[in-house]
Amino acid sequence: MAQDSVLSDELLHHLMAVGQVDVLVGVPTLNNASTIRPVVRAVHQAFSRYFPRDRTLLINSDGGSDDGTPGMVRNASVDDTDTVTVSHTLRTMHRISTPYHGVPGKGNALRQIMTAAELTQARAVAVLNADVTGITPEGVAALVRPVRDQQFDYVAPVYQRHPLEGPLVTQLVRPLMRAAYGWQVREPVAPEFGCSNRFVTHCLEQDVWDSELGRVGIDLWVTGEALAKGFKSCQAGLSPHPATSTRTPFGELFGQVVDSAFACLERHAPYWLNRNGSEPMLLASPPPSAPVERPVVDGTRLTEAFAKDVENLQSVLEYILSGETLANLEALAAKQPERLRYPDALWVSTVYDVLLAYRAGVMRRDHIVQVLAPLYLGRTGSFLRQYATSPEAEIDEALENLCREFERSKPDLIQRWNSR
Amino acid sequence: MAQMIANAIRQAGTNFVESLALFLPRMVTTLAIIIFGWLIAMLLRTIVRAVAGWLRINVAAERFGVAPLLKTADLPPADALLGAIVFWLVWLGFLLSGIDVLGFTSLQGLLASFWAFVPRLLFAVVILIIGFVVANFAWRATLLAAVNGRVPSPRLLSGAVRWLILILTGAMALEQIAVARTVVLTAFAIAFGALSLAVAIAFGIGGGGIAKRILEHQFPEQPRSSADEISHL
Repeated sequence: MAQDSVLSDELLHHLMAVGQVDVLVGVPTLNNASTIRPVVRAVHQAFSRYFPRDRTLLINSDGGSDDGTPGMVRNASVDDTDTVTVSHTLRTMHRISTPYHGVPGKGNALRQIMTAAELTQARAVAVLNADVTGITPEGVAALVRPVRDQQFDYVAPVYQRHPLEGPLVTQLVRPLMRAAYGWQVREPVAPEFGCSNRFVTHCLEQDVWDSELGRVGIDLWVTGEALAKGFKSCQAGLSPHPATSTRTPFGELFGQVVDSAFACLERHAPYWLNRNGSEPMLLASPPPSAPVERPVVDGTRLTEAFAKDVENLQSVLEYILSGETLANLEALAAKQPERLRYPDALWVSTVYDVLLAYRAGVMRRDHIVQVLAPLYLGRTGSFLRQYATSPEAEIDEALENLCREFERSKPDLIQRWNSR
Repeated sequence: MAQMIANAIRQAGTNFVESLALFLPRMVTTLAIIIFGWLIAMLLRTIVRAVAGWLRINVAAERFGVAPLLKTADLPPADALLGAIVFWLVWLGFLLSGIDVLGFTSLQGLLASFWAFVPRLLFAVVILIIGFVVANFAWRATLLAAVNGRVPSPRLLSGAVRWLILILTGAMALEQIAVARTVVLTAFAIAFGALSLAVAIAFGIGGGGIAKRILEHQFPEQPRSSADEISHL
């Protein structure tokens, strides 16, 4: 029934010709001509090196690229990929590139890939990000193996990267999701993941696909859904965190990620309101050991405007933050930018206050999320400057302390959540 | 002569008694209408406040930014204000009905004028409410966009947007209830035109550098702000 609307007749014929598969790798694309070749190559190398006896399918779901991306996927030379393989596949490696229908966005692409996976009864599914250059065959295999060989339902990636990288993940999404869901998942917003056919079927039955969350926050939702619905989950190490070739402007990115995180928490509230503390997630395979570079970031520049931003937003903040949090924030903003230290406890209460305001709908939700952006920049700038020269272990410890602070404050969040 | 004066006084007395006999029942009726109207108006105010509370009007007013404006204007909360509007409209209607019963020639037609005025007044109130909501939404959206986009003077910019919409709304509301229509329209046209001209001249003459900086800031060749210089994910 769902397949009728998601899969075109042509795609349906292709899939029927392919038949059942063991491993399916999906790659959603939209104008990724500059990066798609290495991704296809890595997938084929993974198929021939690590799954030579399996029936495999690479499916590219394209959102209407006008730079020839689908053609590149279709015409990617197999010789090209085989030149460096040490073993050869014993079965045909199928490859399909197809457009998806509906509103552009990863949600529709993922829905098509999952529908195809369900139809072909794929035992293990991996979804990759076409917008990266660092994906390796080992990375693809790391996402597939725990599902194929160890009966895991969901595999989240763990990137090898410096702890000062990805502050939106380390300062906000990771500790928030960890405290809420009670699982220590390192990369909840990762665009890559592996999953079982059982999880695919479950996801397709949910009503998320036509929502805003399905359009822009499907990566977060998939992680949250796996954790909240009790699917057997683990993590797998990937190569150093791949740099994306295109970068969404900060404001848009922040809005999408934070709005999706809050929307996920709202959807999964019945689960996480009853959880306390957090449990580690099994690491099925560690990330390859390679040196990671310390990012060159200037935290001072991020904190320069903090005091002015708090002053400008005061009349909006008073509707969102509790009196105590606002007073502490104003006291913090009164300090010199170079002496700004945004404490963990204040950051946690800021995030939780904003989350509660989002839930209560004290104003338009996109406005609530936008209010958090300058505060996040202040916190991030403060953290980056404080640990600019610290060793990785010390930064990791500080990030762990932040996660624990989120967990410590959770009972208060639950109480206020239930009282609204 | 004395007889004539006595007759006139008697006649006047008779007329007074007859008028009083005619007026007193009307007066009693008027008082009854006014008291009954007051009771009805009170009842309706209570009902409206209860319904508004049930519909969480105050929460909506907070959400759409009407509540802070009411607070600034020293007005009661939204539910109480709605109740008060209904109370005064209903009671004023009864009051005028009561006065109409008295039969004063000079007050004849007042009731009809009042009821003709009520729809326009209600429409003006609706215009004001929508204006408040739109003005506040635009204010907040402008403020947030300006702060996050690192535009100079975000509060001044957003405040200007809000007051512009409020003034426009106020002029529309006054025009609707036809209060000094010509004066309002002329004053608004002059003030708005003068303001636009002043801003244009000031910006053109003195703000060339600022305009350049804003445009360079808005359309940079490199990342737009420090926030865009790092990879957040």
